[in-house]
Order: sequence, then C-alpha cells, then structure tokens
Amino acid sequence: MKLNRRAFVGTGMAAASTLGAPMVHAASHGIPKVVVVGGGAGGATAARYIAKDSAGEIDVTLIEPTRSYYTCFFSNLYIGGFWDLENLSHSYGKLASDYGINVVHDWATGVDRDAKTVALAGGGSVPYDRLILSPGIDFVDGSVPGWDVSAQNAMPHAYKGGSQTELLKAQIMAMPEGGTYVMVAPPNPYRCPPGPYERISMVAHVLKANNPTAKIIIADPKANFSKQGLFEEGWQKHYSGMITRIGPDFGGENVTVDPAAMTVDVDGEVINADVVNVIPAQKAGLICEAAGLTDGNWAPVDGHSMVSRLDENIHILGDATNQGDMPKSGFSANSQAKVAAMAVRGALTGSRVFPAKYSNTCWSLIATDDGVKVGAAYEPNDEKIASVSSFVSQTGEDVAMRKATYEESIGWYEGITTDMFG
Amino acid sequence: MLGAAYGWTARDHRAQELVALTDRLTQLEKRNSSLQEQASRSADLHARLSELETALAAALRDAESARQAALVETPAAEMARPAPEPVVADAAALDFGDPEKGREVFAQCTSCHQIGQGAEDRIGPHLNGIFGRRAGAHEGFRYSDDMKMMGADGLTWELANLDAYLENPKALVSRTRMNFAGLKDPQDRSDILAYLRQFSASPQNIPEAAPTAQPREVDLSPEVLAIVGDTDYGEYLASECKTCHQQDGSDKGIPAITNWPTEDFVVAMHAYKRQIRPHPVMQMMASRLSDEEIAALAAYFAQGE
Repeated sequence: MKLNRRAFVGTGMAAASTLGAPMVHAASHGIPKVVVVGGGAGGATAARYIAKDSAGEIDVTLIEPTRSYYTCFFSNLYIGGFWDLENLSHSYGKLASDYGINVVHDWATGVDRDAKTVALAGGGSVPYDRLILSPGIDFVDGSVPGWDVSAQNAMPHAYKGGSQTELLKAQIMAMPEGGTYVMVAPPNPYRCPPGPYERISMVAHVLKANNPTAKIIIADPKANFSKQGLFEEGWQKHYSGMITRIGPDFGGENVTVDPAAMTVDVDGEVINADVVNVIPAQKAGLICEAAGLTDGNWAPVDGHSMVSRLDENIHILGDATNQGDMPKSGFSANSQAKVAAMAVRGALTGSRVFPAKYSNTCWSLIATDDGVKVGAAYEPNDEKIASVSSFVSQTGEDVAMRKATYEESIGWYEGITTDMFG
Repeated sequence: MLGAAYGWTARDHRAQELVALTDRLTQLEKRNSSLQEQASRSADLHARLSELETALAAALRDAESARQAALVETPAAEMARPAPEPVVADAAALDFGDPEKGREVFAQCTSCHQIGQGAEDRIGPHLNGIFGRRAGAHEGFRYSDDMKMMGADGLTWELANLDAYLENPKALVSRTRMNFAGLKDPQDRSDILAYLRQFSASPQNIPEAAPTAQPREVDLSPEVLAIVGDTDYGEYLASECKTCHQQDGSDKGIPAITNWPTEDFVVAMHAYKRQIRPHPVMQMMASRLSDEEIAALAAYFAQGE
C-alpha cells in the first residue's frame, strides 16, 4: 500500500524513476537512506531539513572532510578586519546530536551509480537510496598560466573558506610599506559574483588604515562585474587613488603568473607584486566529474527538484550546478537545498511536495557601515531556473540606509548559519 | 539607572524591587521639588510683573502731567495706554513632555502597539498601565527570553528606563523582539512618555474615543482576510524566510517574525506586495506570493515553533 501511495503521491520525477529502477527501498532494506556529500550551505541545509522533517523516517548521512567548517561567505569581513576568524567557524555537533545525522568526516572520492554507493577516501563505502551532492567548486587547471594548486601558498586563492583566507590576510598584513597587491579575477561563471570586488574593498580598507601608500591592482577578464556601479562609487569615495582595475580592453584577460618570482604579467607588462591573489576559473567540485554527472564544467540539474539531468537518484546543489539564472552563492545553495530536501522526502516517504520557489540575496561591504545588496526571486521552468523579479541597491543611497543594509547582512549570516547547522 | 539594569543578575526580587521603588521615590521627590521650585519662580515673576505694571503706570502719569504742563493751550490728549508685554515663565524643565505631541510621535508605534480603551496585544504588547509594569511580565504576551530575564531580574518600567529603552531598545534589552531603532530626539521621548503616562497613572481617565481604531495599512477584502492558511505549505514557504529571519524570534539586524497575530502578518505581507512598505527584499519576496500563500505563511508563523 505504501509503495503505491508513494508512486502516485510523489513527484513526476519520482514516479518516472519507478519505471527504470527499483523504488522499494523501504521494503527492500528498511528505512530509506539519504547520503549528502558536502557540508556547506547546500549540503548541511539539505541534511538538516531532511532529518528534521522526516522525523526518523529517513536515515541521513553527511560526508564532509572538515570538522570545523569555515564559511567562505563573509570571509572578506575577516580580511577587512571587521570579523574574527572564529565568527566564520561552525561545527557539525548539533546536526549529529539534535538531528540524528550520521556525520562522517571523510572525503567522498567516487560514486558507483549502479550499486548506489559512495566511496570514501578512508576506505569503505556508504549505500544510498537518494544521493545529494553539494561539493562546491574546484579550479580549472591551467586557467591562469603559471598557477596551479601547488602554488596556492605563494599565491593564495582564498576562494574556499578556512586556511586560505587566513593565509591571504597574513600576507596582506605583512606587505611592505607602499607594496602592491594584485588580484587575478576569475571569468564567469564563478562562486559569489560580487565576492572578488568586496574583497578588493576589504583589502583597501585594511591597507588604508595600515599601509595607505599601498597599491591594489585587479586584472580582470570580464568587461563588467556584479554591482559594478556601486563598487566603483565606493572605491572613489573611500579609497581614492588606491585601486586600479585592468579590464579586457587593456589586456586583463591575458594574464600569466610566476609564483617563484612573485610577478604577474598582464598582456606583456610585468608587475612585481607583494601579494598575488589568484582566483582561477572554476568548475563543479571534483566528485561531480568523478561520478560522470557533469556536462562541460558544471553539473546540469532540473530546477523543479534539483535532480541531476543525468541520474534520477542524485540531486546536486549549489555552486557545482548548471541550473539557470541563479548566481553561485551560499544563499542560492541554501534555497536549492530546501527544494531538494522536499523532493527527496516526497520521493522516499510520500510527504507533500509543493512547487519549487527560490531566492537569493548577496550583501557586500564596501567600507565601514557601507553595505550594499543585490537579489532576485526565481522559479523553475522545464529549461532552467528563471529569474522572476530582482532588485539592487542604488548609487547615492544615504549613510543610514547603507548602515541598515550592513546590519541586515549580519542578521542574514546569523539566520543562514542557524539554518545550516541548527 | 541604566547601567544598573545591565548589572542586574541576582534573583533577589525583593531587594531589586526595593531598589526600583527607591529610585522611583527619589525621582518623584526630585520632580516634586522641581515643581515647587517652578511654582515659586512663577510667584516671583507674578510679583515682578505687577511691580513693573505699577512702575509703568506711574511713569505714564508723570509723562502725561509733564506734557500738559509743556503744552498749556492744548487740551489733554487722549492717549492709549500701551499694554504691558506679557512675561511667560520657562516651562521646559519638566520631565514629562507634551502628551498631545506625544500622541503624534506615537503614530509610528501603532503598527505594533495599541493603547487606550480596548487595546489588545498585537505584534507588541498593549501599553495600558506600562508605568509600573514589570518588564516581560504582561500576562499572555510572548516576550523574548531577554525581556523576561530583565523582568525577572527586577526591571520595572518607569520614566528613566522607558526613556533609555525608547532611545535604543537593544542597548537596554539586547535580544528584544522589538524591532525599532530608537527615538534619538529627547523631546520626542519625553512627549511620548507624557502620552503613555496618561494611560498608566489613572486608568479611569482613558479617553472614550480610543485611539485603537487604526486604519489598516492596506485595504484587504474580508475574503482575503478570511483565508485559512495551509500550515504544511506555510512551513515549506517559511523555510525561505528562515534563511534571514532568526528562528528563535530574536532580532539581529533583521526583525523577528515569529508569533505574530495572523492578521498583522497578512496585512504586512500585502503591504510589501503592493510596495506600500519600502524594503526591496521583502517587496520581492512578497511580490510572488499569492493570497493563499500569504495566508499559509501567516498560519504557520502564528503557531510558533
């Protein structure tokens, strides 16, 4: 009876899956199993919502290598000196103790999609009925000639939270008087569209106070970038004379680096730098490629349920996906996780499934109490997740509004991290 | 007074009450002496005024007789005697301001607080009898934990701490659910406190035309207001709200939305949807919600966690 009910009550996707694959998980091996790979804004949220809302009807395992998770979002505030590193750190303790999630600190190295198991670096494998992959990003080899991951100590990316963030901050603080910081900005699409430019603002903020004659150079392959008018207005106002951006019209897309010599070659002009922050081109976290779920650099998904277009038992969340109009952000991943959690519960336990709705807002800090934001609401169609309405902060806003926007962003951080980690 | 509020951690209520009462007494004594001082100043001024009037009349008489002596052939001219300049005592030294002005300042509070005859708890508690009420102790209203703690620690509302709370709510009660930045102008605060005071000192004086009949921000049909929300759907939709709004109902740069009366929630969301309320994120979020979806959210959030 339960099986029939699920077949009819579940989503179209779930019903379709019953034709090809056995759907009798509950009957065949007891309580259905969901495995989540990646404990960030997508994975931790999905694990928590499934565990919370299924109230014991689904067994949830979360595979995440780090014991303390450092959010990448808001790490720029640490670089700017507004936050301590501890503010960015979160543990998985509550997900285990309060929600009964089996938290496994290990690397997922591969997926056997026929056997429906996830291989672990530490040996062994974990079976699943539904798998959720939320691995974030990895870097495209060779996208910045001269740079690879072995050079990330000399030229940090600081585009995954944690030790890289700390390293970049230490290098900035150790710059000689009047020294040069160079950012090699990434091509689209990449994680957190305003992130590199908020970082420029924060680096300028900290240098203005400690090393005011220092120079900041951005080599940028993109003609335009997120919140450009707002950032440029802010840089003019707060950091006049410190920042130079070399766009593609001046060769900003033609960059090679030499980590040993600490030089950056921008279209033939060699810059001697003290800190080089290389943010390479990005792609889906490696596990997606290893599982054969990518098309090009990203993993395509159906926006109605975030299910992979290449495997009906696997949902993929966040930065790793190609879903349509949503930016790659923690907010987006969190929003997508709730839709996927609902779809997975619907498929495995027959719970109610409602139409997917998504949203995103990205706040950025330009200077003390000078916050701006951009956001949009999204709904899926059969092609993609499409933007249905949007807003952005305006240039020339008064200081009270900018301060309120910054305070709002702090509220959001509290909200989303509670939503992720309980 | 305010610093003491932060330091209150002991649970010895009677001792704390004694402190609060002593404070109140000191304050009343101070106010009493300030009034007496003003009364005596006022009497002095009256005396000086009549002195001046007498002197002026005498001077006028002298001038008149001098003029008549100088112009013997001219009959006594009719001269209008100028009125003396009125002298007004300075009355701005009172602790409480002007309740009429306070009523106007209070308009910004009415979306959450009712006061007067028939006032009920809404998003915030009603404010009848707020003076002398223990913080966080009004029966039937769900306060933040911090507010309850302050009340348990002995915070009782009176002029000085209400003034401090109105100036910066979070400075006094750090995780209060009251989402209000504060009234920076001391005159506004003393006016509003004079207004609130009218509904505390002698409740029988509450005006009959109660100021509780507030027009709604948006005009909603009874059908829309009558929609019974689907709480399951509301729970799913609410997951989107919880990305920003604190699930424990505290306010950290983003207001709390838990435990709102259903109708207030519905009205607020429609006000965002119609862009009457200004916040761009909320306008966007509300813009795509149907009447049923708004009702579902309201029903879900009204039930609490």
